[in-house]
Amino acid sequence: MKNFIFSFLALLLLPAYMSGQTIKGKVLDSSGMGVPGAVISAPQSRTSADADFDGNFTIAAKEGEMLKISMLGFEPVSLPATSGITITLKESGDTALKEVVVIGYGTRKRIDNTTSISSIKSEEITKTKVLNASQAIQGKAAGVQVISSDLPGSTPSVVIRGLGTALGGRTPLYVVDGMQTENINNINTNDITSYDILKDASALAIYGTRAANGVIIITTKKGKGDNKVSVEVESFAGVREPLKKVKMAGSNKYAYYTNAALQNTTFSQDQPVNTDWFDEITRSGSYTQNNVSVSGGSENVKYFFSLGNYEEKAILNGLGYGRTTFRNNNEYKISKKLTLNQNFSFTSTKSTPKPLGAFTNAYKQSPIVPVFFPDGKYGVPRVGANGFANETGSAFNNVGNPVAQLDFFDEQQKSMTLQGGLKLDYDILKSLKFTSQFNGEYYTWKQYNFEDTKNVWLAANPNKVASDYEKEFPNANINLLTKGREDYYNWNLANYLTYNKVFNDIHDIEVVAGIETSVKGAREKLTIKRKNVNSDANYWALKDVEYAANITSYKDEVFNEVKLASYLGRFQYKLMDKYLVTGTVRRDGSSNFGKDYRWGTFPAFGLGWVMSKEAFLADSKVISLLKLRGGWGKLGNQNVPLNRASYTSGQNGYLGGSILNEGTTINSQIDPSLSWEVTEETSVGLDFELLESKLKGTLDVYDRNTNNIILNTKPYSTSGITNVSPAHVGEVSNKGYEISLRWDDKIGEDFSYFIGGNFSNNKNELTGLKNVILSPVIGGGLGNGQDTKLLDNTTIGQPLGSFYIYDYAGFDASNGKMLYYNAAGDKVTQDALNATTDRKYVGSSMPKSNYGVSLGFNYKNFDVSVDGYGTNGAKVYNGKKAQRFAGENIEESLAVDFWTLNNVTASNPAPFNQVPVASTYYLESGDFFRINNITVGYKLPLPSESFITSCRIYVNAINPFITQKFSGFSPELNGDGNPYGTQGVELDAYPTLRSFVMGVNLKF
Amino acid sequence: MKKIYIAAFVVSAFFFTGCADDYLDVDQTESVSTDDIELYNNDAGASQFVTSIYNKFLNWDMTSFGWIGLSSITSDDADKGSSPGDTGTDKDVLDALTYNASNPSAESTFNANYDGINRCNQALNILPKLDKASPALRARLTGEAKFLRAFMYFTLVKCYGGVPIVDHLPVPGSDSDRIMQLTRKTKAEVYAFIESDLNDAIAALPEKGAYAANERSRVSKGAAYALLAKVSLYQKNWQKVVDNCNKVTGYSIVNDYASMFRVAGKFDSETIFEIYAQGSVPAKGIEGYSNTQGARGAGGWGWGFNTPSQSLVNAYEPGDVRKNATIIFRGTTLYDGRVIPTTVENERYNYKAYSSAYTDAWETDVDIKYLRYAEVLLMKAEALNELGQTPEAIPLLNQIRKRAGLGDTPYTSQGDIRTAIWRERRVEMAFEHDRFFDLVRTGQAKAAFAIDGKVFTEGKNEVFPIPASFIKQAAGLSDQNPLY
Repeated sequence: MKNFIFSFLALLLLPAYMSGQTIKGKVLDSSGMGVPGAVISAPQSRTSADADFDGNFTIAAKEGEMLKISMLGFEPVSLPATSGITITLKESGDTALKEVVVIGYGTRKRIDNTTSISSIKSEEITKTKVLNASQAIQGKAAGVQVISSDLPGSTPSVVIRGLGTALGGRTPLYVVDGMQTENINNINTNDITSYDILKDASALAIYGTRAANGVIIITTKKGKGDNKVSVEVESFAGVREPLKKVKMAGSNKYAYYTNAALQNTTFSQDQPVNTDWFDEITRSGSYTQNNVSVSGGSENVKYFFSLGNYEEKAILNGLGYGRTTFRNNNEYKISKKLTLNQNFSFTSTKSTPKPLGAFTNAYKQSPIVPVFFPDGKYGVPRVGANGFANETGSAFNNVGNPVAQLDFFDEQQKSMTLQGGLKLDYDILKSLKFTSQFNGEYYTWKQYNFEDTKNVWLAANPNKVASDYEKEFPNANINLLTKGREDYYNWNLANYLTYNKVFNDIHDIEVVAGIETSVKGAREKLTIKRKNVNSDANYWALKDVEYAANITSYKDEVFNEVKLASYLGRFQYKLMDKYLVTGTVRRDGSSNFGKDYRWGTFPAFGLGWVMSKEAFLADSKVISLLKLRGGWGKLGNQNVPLNRASYTSGQNGYLGGSILNEGTTINSQIDPSLSWEVTEETSVGLDFELLESKLKGTLDVYDRNTNNIILNTKPYSTSGITNVSPAHVGEVSNKGYEISLRWDDKIGEDFSYFIGGNFSNNKNELTGLKNVILSPVIGGGLGNGQDTKLLDNTTIGQPLGSFYIYDYAGFDASNGKMLYYNAAGDKVTQDALNATTDRKYVGSSMPKSNYGVSLGFNYKNFDVSVDGYGTNGAKVYNGKKAQRFAGENIEESLAVDFWTLNNVTASNPAPFNQVPVASTYYLESGDFFRINNITVGYKLPLPSESFITSCRIYVNAINPFITQKFSGFSPELNGDGNPYGTQGVELDAYPTLRSFVMGVNLKF
Repeated sequence: MKKIYIAAFVVSAFFFTGCADDYLDVDQTESVSTDDIELYNNDAGASQFVTSIYNKFLNWDMTSFGWIGLSSITSDDADKGSSPGDTGTDKDVLDALTYNASNPSAESTFNANYDGINRCNQALNILPKLDKASPALRARLTGEAKFLRAFMYFTLVKCYGGVPIVDHLPVPGSDSDRIMQLTRKTKAEVYAFIESDLNDAIAALPEKGAYAANERSRVSKGAAYALLAKVSLYQKNWQKVVDNCNKVTGYSIVNDYASMFRVAGKFDSETIFEIYAQGSVPAKGIEGYSNTQGARGAGGWGWGFNTPSQSLVNAYEPGDVRKNATIIFRGTTLYDGRVIPTTVENERYNYKAYSSAYTDAWETDVDIKYLRYAEVLLMKAEALNELGQTPEAIPLLNQIRKRAGLGDTPYTSQGDIRTAIWRERRVEMAFEHDRFFDLVRTGQAKAAFAIDGKVFTEGKNEVFPIPASFIKQAAGLSDQNPLY
């Protein structure tokens, strides 16, 4: 693999002159790949040469003369010259010298790189057995915040160096083998060979207008050209369960509490039923993954095939997810100068989603309600005169039966993603390479949802019969079938030249210049709703049947296409291997914006100084590497709300020529200057390796500002325009630092170990707003008309994603009523609160810092590793608890300790029936530390001539332990991934899971 | 070989640069681009822009709950109604005349009328560009848009006094347009603007007979004259009132007063400007208009707001047919046989908002007749009386009284006739969104509210507060109305 990357490096050329006879030979690495650029010198003949892309060289030297072969990253070798000699270089232990990072439109040796890039190795990605690679890297890269959910098929939020946008896209740009995309759920983690996170502006600017949220470059595996066929089989199976449960009150305590709230004795305190709704809607989850890959090749053709399957039976009843992936990556060496790389991947997924609202309903539904009444009907919250639940009593809450909710929810989604590309490298000169790369992706999705309306109603009303439904709702649907179809096609074409040359041995120059276009094709979506379909799913789509009469909604949407045209250039200069300079510029034009505002230029520069190469450190025993680097750059985010001028659709609600037609008008005002959000960043970093590279570390400090974030503004009321207009009005600052350290060592021959960790801290703040009328961003809705988050003119000085709620002031000891501080600092009840003046900003759902630790050891054939992850400074809102309406269940901790006349110092207020206002009473610390993964592996000792070359068996514990302050299920709440949505609010949230996995990895 | 590659690369780069801008012009597919004028460049398309203005009158914020509160509950004809504890957000303070600058009804009415004015301005902006629509149609549509803009400015000037005159589409970022949008003009300037629009409308609009049956809710020349008469009435420009009333021709009062507010009375001979509503599916009615005013409680169907006051009941002379056509009394049977049980919460409800066929629907078939010929007669009578031509005024007044089942007015003096006409306007046009403004116009407000035990502060309550949200936007360019 290294050689594949090396082959991207241009040749180092040194003047060679001919004398005497010539020796031809080849330099290979330990895997049999040619080592391009290896320097061969013949001191006796005073000649030198370097190896070409395939490692071949020709040098003017005499037979038998000693040749010195050296190459960065390899141990130097000396041996006598023979014609046709093949020299195998051994890789040096000095990782900093040979390690290569992917920098976008090229690669660079880590030592020569001036920017901040975190590289995650493939074994780190596959170690934690999760579906999405970004979830697996949680805690492994400083400055990269991953908020994930264990909901099968969900996409984790990845925030690199803080949030710089409120309404725009927050997702980093993923570049998968050159394909620029926004989601990597289709990528099998086992196919990934490197995962490089570009973090600072100086690294990111080459991606211009899509770089502000960071860029993650993923490279998938390739075959080796060693004329061998390698087969790898990886299989595991695991069980999953919720990491933490919330203890609920139970029937009798529920009855006691609810009676106290109602101030009567509606509920018997000796209940015959005690339903644990959480247990009723969940089951023991399981998942399996099986992968087979075949790779190999000759010098001229290399191939890699892989087939993978992931199946999960989720903990929520009925929820399932499956994914099948296929990949084929090939490399063809067409001629000495021409190389073609082709990659192709196919992914299909199938899922049966279930509503996560069932978790909230299970939390809220009373334990006195049975799952089923004795006659087999679903339990409902009705209470009879005896104080027990029955079918005909009076309703005491509005929560549905969560088991019925899951049983009736009938949905299936299927998707297919095709990604592929061709990359052509042509060596025009030894130092000049032309690269042309095309990538495309096609996505198609289909869904059905069947709503059994009438039976849902009957289940909720066990005292009614079928004919009542027709009576009460004469024109209502019996059922409703929704079918959805969606597809899109995106493509990307880049052409660039790479020039690399060393002048006078000390001036190493690499220049990249190119053009690129990216097209995000029009997304097409069709949604049809049809009523009163056959109850048998087989007969929903019969041949030659006209369904027009039963269609209740028909939506056919084609979303706007987005095109980008770009010019890119990068200059990298290295002087005497010590002084590094990088300059980058990208000019992007985007179809998203008005003609005069669509072009933008994103420059950056970086400087580096490899201090350890200076004389004063060269002999240091302590310091093996010390590099200071820094840079500045400008980045864009084009994925922002747009305000394309449009007519309000007169086609909607058209009533012929009648005056009642809605007519057509324009109800939006366009800010023609709307363009991308621009982030500027200055950063400084230090890389070091101490004590013979046993201790490695990186330190980074950055200051990034987005000076023109887009928020929605309201036109003046006299304009009569009621739609909001996005405009550049805000400033957001992110300042932070990142530290990562790792210690590797060996004790004796059999025992090696490492311990590492990283810590990052980010201060996010809305630093300014223009004097405009903002349309506030209101979020964190609790589903009861209340919201918990706000961004408006009062938010200046607060972090994005801030909660804005009332400040709980304890309860009134005389009556147990909850009190809140008003603006004047007085304690008042919720009826006396003023929504505009009494709420406060009380912290953000985004953590201020996060950290990861990992340690591991290898002893003989055993390998053990442990990864931990934690965050600090985030707030989470206990939304399911805060939403409480009368007659709903409570937690045990509340049921056993609440205010009564005899217990005025209880920790909880008196029982109440009024829906509480959103307040700090329900806001909790989101701090947690979790062991994300423990792996224990054992490599079976195999005879050296065995058919199987390697067999490793392993067990994993994923999320085995957590310490958290939050009283709910999980403090890691990605929600909808939006800091102004349900992120950080535990409501309809999927719990974090603990998994135990056993697996085997075989190589042939 | 390499030269070819380099050359190809350089050439492609140039090619790319040259075309890049066109390359980046993508077609808009998710909404209709405003660049695409051609789509509407025909007769039907042109009409759409004016249709949207009419459609505004069906909106909740334009014609429903807030407007009912502002134009009716405030007056002595109506009480808040509903349950004592249900304030309808602010209907209690409107009823009591104790509203402040952030009154939601005053705010929504202000914003809704400017929303309508934007639709007028959008139409007036685009109509000249639609050169493939028939010129005659475009001229008429321009006239309709100007009438409707005048009507909305008339509502604004009655409610708030002088307001900003937005007479064209503001360009975002333009300083002069910012000032235009944020600076209040004087009352006189607003009236001058209204008159100018109406004169343009008169020149462009056809007589009502020119419209086909399904277009009869479009405004005609007669409507423009009638509105100009009313605008003149508010400015006490008596001769102009008479002149314009005289030009309202082709209309006559109907015999049965009650029929006007039922389905059968839609677009009868008396109607001049009527907001048309359709109850049948797809329902296109005034959102919540019938429902908010429907009888509340057991046996009822609505929220029960805007109930006729005792003061209004007392205003009807014995034998006036208009009383039972205007007021639903609890415990009575309606014309369609519906019995209003005694279990409903309020004694009286607004009959003119009652829909027989779609009683509890959100959008019903109840129209609002903003201008009808009876008012033209009353305006003319009032103006003639003010001009000293009292004898000419009396027959007009009697014409209205006769239809109501009453005898001729016993009064003859100018002063008595003035009061008689005002009283006649009250009972003739009760619950037609006129009374509060009429009280202010005629200077009777303070005395009238005093009878109800409410304090009408002169110099303050003649107008409603300009929305505090607008005053904040104006940042000093506009002042609040006095005493708010």
